[in-house]
Amino acid sequence: MGDSKLDLLQGTLDLMVLQTLAAMGSLHGYGIARRIEQVSGDQVLLNQGTIYASLVRLQQRGWISAEWGTSENNRKAKFYSITKAGRKQLTADAAYWQRLSGVMGRVLAMQDGGGKR
Amino acid sequence: MDTLRQALNRLRALFFRRPLDEELDAEMASHLDLAIEENRRRGLSPEEARRQALIRFGGVEQAKERHRDARGIPALEILLQDLRYAIRQLRKNPGFACTAILTLALGIGANTAIFTVINAVMLRPLPYANPQELVTWRGNESQLDVDDIRAQSGSFFSAGGAVNPEVMDYTGGTEPIGVHAGYVDAGLFEVLGVPAMLGRTLLPQEDVKGGPRVVVLGYPFWREYLSGDRNIVGKTIPLSGNSYTVIGVMPERFAVPEYSVDLFVSLRMVYPEAAAYRGVHFMRSYWRLKPGITIARAATGMAAIDARLAASYPSEEKGRHTALVPLQEWVTGEVSSALWVLFGAVCVVLLIACANFAGLLMARTVSRRREMVIRAALGGGRGRLVRQALTECTLLAMLGGAAGLVLAKFGTDLLVAAKPAALAHLNSIAMDISVLISGLAVSILTGLLFGLAPAWSSTRADVAGAMKEEGRTVTSGPAGHAFRRTLVIAELALAMVLLVGAGLLIHSFARLRSVDPGFNPSNVISFFIQLPAARYSEIPKQTSFRRELLARLNSLPGVDAAMVGDPPLNGSEVTHSLAFDGRPPVAEGDQPEVDTFCVMGDYFRVMQIPLHAGRALADADREDQPLVAVINEVMARKYYAGENPIGQRIRWGHEAGPPRWMTIVGVVGDVKQYSLAQPAEPAVFTPFAQSNESWRRWMGVVVRTPGASAGLIPALKAQVWSLDNQIPLNRIQSMDELLQLSLAERRFNMLLLGLFAGLALTLAVVGIYGVMSYSVSERTHEIGIRMAVGAGRSDVLKMVMGQGARLAGLGVAIGILGAIALTRLMTSLLFGITPTDPATFIAVAVLMVAVVLLACFVPARRATKVDPTVALRYE
Repeated sequence: MGDSKLDLLQGTLDLMVLQTLAAMGSLHGYGIARRIEQVSGDQVLLNQGTIYASLVRLQQRGWISAEWGTSENNRKAKFYSITKAGRKQLTADAAYWQRLSGVMGRVLAMQDGGGKR
Repeated sequence: MDTLRQALNRLRALFFRRPLDEELDAEMASHLDLAIEENRRRGLSPEEARRQALIRFGGVEQAKERHRDARGIPALEILLQDLRYAIRQLRKNPGFACTAILTLALGIGANTAIFTVINAVMLRPLPYANPQELVTWRGNESQLDVDDIRAQSGSFFSAGGAVNPEVMDYTGGTEPIGVHAGYVDAGLFEVLGVPAMLGRTLLPQEDVKGGPRVVVLGYPFWREYLSGDRNIVGKTIPLSGNSYTVIGVMPERFAVPEYSVDLFVSLRMVYPEAAAYRGVHFMRSYWRLKPGITIARAATGMAAIDARLAASYPSEEKGRHTALVPLQEWVTGEVSSALWVLFGAVCVVLLIACANFAGLLMARTVSRRREMVIRAALGGGRGRLVRQALTECTLLAMLGGAAGLVLAKFGTDLLVAAKPAALAHLNSIAMDISVLISGLAVSILTGLLFGLAPAWSSTRADVAGAMKEEGRTVTSGPAGHAFRRTLVIAELALAMVLLVGAGLLIHSFARLRSVDPGFNPSNVISFFIQLPAARYSEIPKQTSFRRELLARLNSLPGVDAAMVGDPPLNGSEVTHSLAFDGRPPVAEGDQPEVDTFCVMGDYFRVMQIPLHAGRALADADREDQPLVAVINEVMARKYYAGENPIGQRIRWGHEAGPPRWMTIVGVVGDVKQYSLAQPAEPAVFTPFAQSNESWRRWMGVVVRTPGASAGLIPALKAQVWSLDNQIPLNRIQSMDELLQLSLAERRFNMLLLGLFAGLALTLAVVGIYGVMSYSVSERTHEIGIRMAVGAGRSDVLKMVMGQGARLAGLGVAIGILGAIALTRLMTSLLFGITPTDPATFIAVAVLMVAVVLLACFVPARRATKVDPTVALRYE
């Protein structure tokens, strides 16, 4: 991988958005994008614009809701917050990702050890 | 639940595209504002802050596109977008659009119209219970035969019945009219399995000699003449001098297989003499196979019955051979060969239309090559471009299909209005849903199939290469040219096949028209009357009616001469077996059969049939005079070769009692009795006055007039009704009309095939014109160079025309081979020529080449007008 940034796997952005909203409460699109960038330590390759496709998808599924409001410095912006269904989905998806990453970790470790045996 | 909500949301997004887009724009603007503000706070200059914000955001348009894809139904949106684009393109180029749509509309319209008729005539099952079980055979039967077969066929037929079409007089209206009566056997209703709509059908106990006078009405007669009276059952109507009680009315969709019948009466009741007579086979019989019995098994059974009947009744039934035919096949057999030829023709027209359509698309694709190349260079994916092109031609195809279906509706109405007599008993030829669907399916398939090749090749552009050609027109390349040329050659070949087919029919028809009918049909008017059995059962009464009627008609002003006797081509025939005086006797079943005509008045003068020898029949040949006969030329040649027939004696072979020898007194010329296409048969003419056949109550009355005869009709009616006001005049028509009618079906086939061939030729000519025009405009530069280095206008003309001639030659050559292979399928429709008639082939080939060269001449002339200086600068 070296210095290059991580390409996002299909579906991971949706999960990041859900988790961000769950942790931060109500946020606008820019805020969500910035938050993800900060948390990832700028390791994620994210065109901020792509967040909006994710937002509309989550909204259509009823996992987040949106309403226009005013930002801390008095700008009009659309604020998103996670719904009850969204939290349920987040729990399920998070568990899935954790299991998957655990399995991936073990599988990769096994390959590493395979040469020594 | 989630997926449903999502689907609804996506659907909603499709319809609220604009507000959603506006909201997204606002959201993105706010995003950028927020980002710029944060960057400013970090101390960047306004320009740098904005630049950084935009970089982090990524492509605005891509983000929007992703957003739209996520929220809506991308496939549908692309389709709508493509459709909008396609419509815009077509409106920009209405000439192209109209040509393409019209081309397909003609092909699909003609095809659907003919298919509608085929569907109604051949594919739709007959309107009877389990029609696949019904069978019939070629020969007719007598009522006694029907009874015997029914009694002996119980192991393989579950029912059988018979009908004989006759005429009865209905005198319940203002004028007496002749109606089509079915003299039936009660089994007819049982075998067809259709119950009455009102009342009931004939019962076996009513179907006996001396049975009650009861009648079952057909739906059209009931509606038209009895005002659809729903309480008609039990009432009486007057028929042929007797009163009949109505016992039932048949449903609207019911019709006897081969005839139009207005009402049904029992043969045994109405005509017991005929019912008891085995020798005259006049009834069409229909039979129902028992479930599980094959037609082959039934045929074996029938062979045994044939053998038994022939053994029991050698004089009437010798040589019986019953060949069973499924009823469906029998009913459609008469028209099917012509219909299949026509269907083949319209399929060829459709093929040509499709080839033309593909050619048009190809030409258009080539002229839009640059657009495609630019779109590909700007990042349009190949799949996306093909999809766009396909959307466009499918749209065209569907428009063409829709227009074609409208054409088909009119075409079907026309076809039905002009339907030949063989289809007359089918009253329900209409487009149904299956025809509509298949028509639309064909058009969509056409669009996809014939649009795919041009669409595919259009996107195969070598982007870099094409862009390098800068200002120069992007040419289609050799592959595209070859494809279009192949299409045009195929079109010409197919059109050639159709033209040859039509040419053969036209040639046949011309031959038929020039056939001498043997009589002069001009200024002759005829009608038919039936003397009601109730008042004219005895011969003397019949004779005096005829004699009196002739006297009154001959005294009418405007009448040259009148006679009583069946005129040629009228469709009725009476044949008798014949015995010759002074020759060894022949067993009854082996005697020759001849046509017989009973006449009164001067038949030969009225019909203008030439007398070849002896004398004509005269008024003096009365009932108390020696029996005489006149024979025709064929009869004289066949039975009196090398002898003088005058003075020889003949008699009917089947007569009982003392022999009634008739002396031949004259020989007349031959007449086309059945149709112009059929040769004359041996015929015997005898005086009505000397006839002992009291059943000959049906008779033609024929009048020759000095000029046009139509004005005479009221006077003719008045004369008949002055003798008996209960007798209707049937089928009043001139001999010319009768002659035309006998040609109607051939004329119908000829006109239709001619129409389709014309259509095919037109389409093919449009095709070759398009190719040549395009080729000339593409070669303007080259032609300019040729002219600049000294080629004359005639050289250019020769070059272009030569190119056209090569295409035409190839097309015609292939077409001739195809025609030779195919025209033998239409042998039964031809008259007097072979399916490979060289004169027709040559004439059609010359016509084809001439028309094609004419079509090439226009672009060729345009080529000669090329100005070299302009052309060389032309980019």
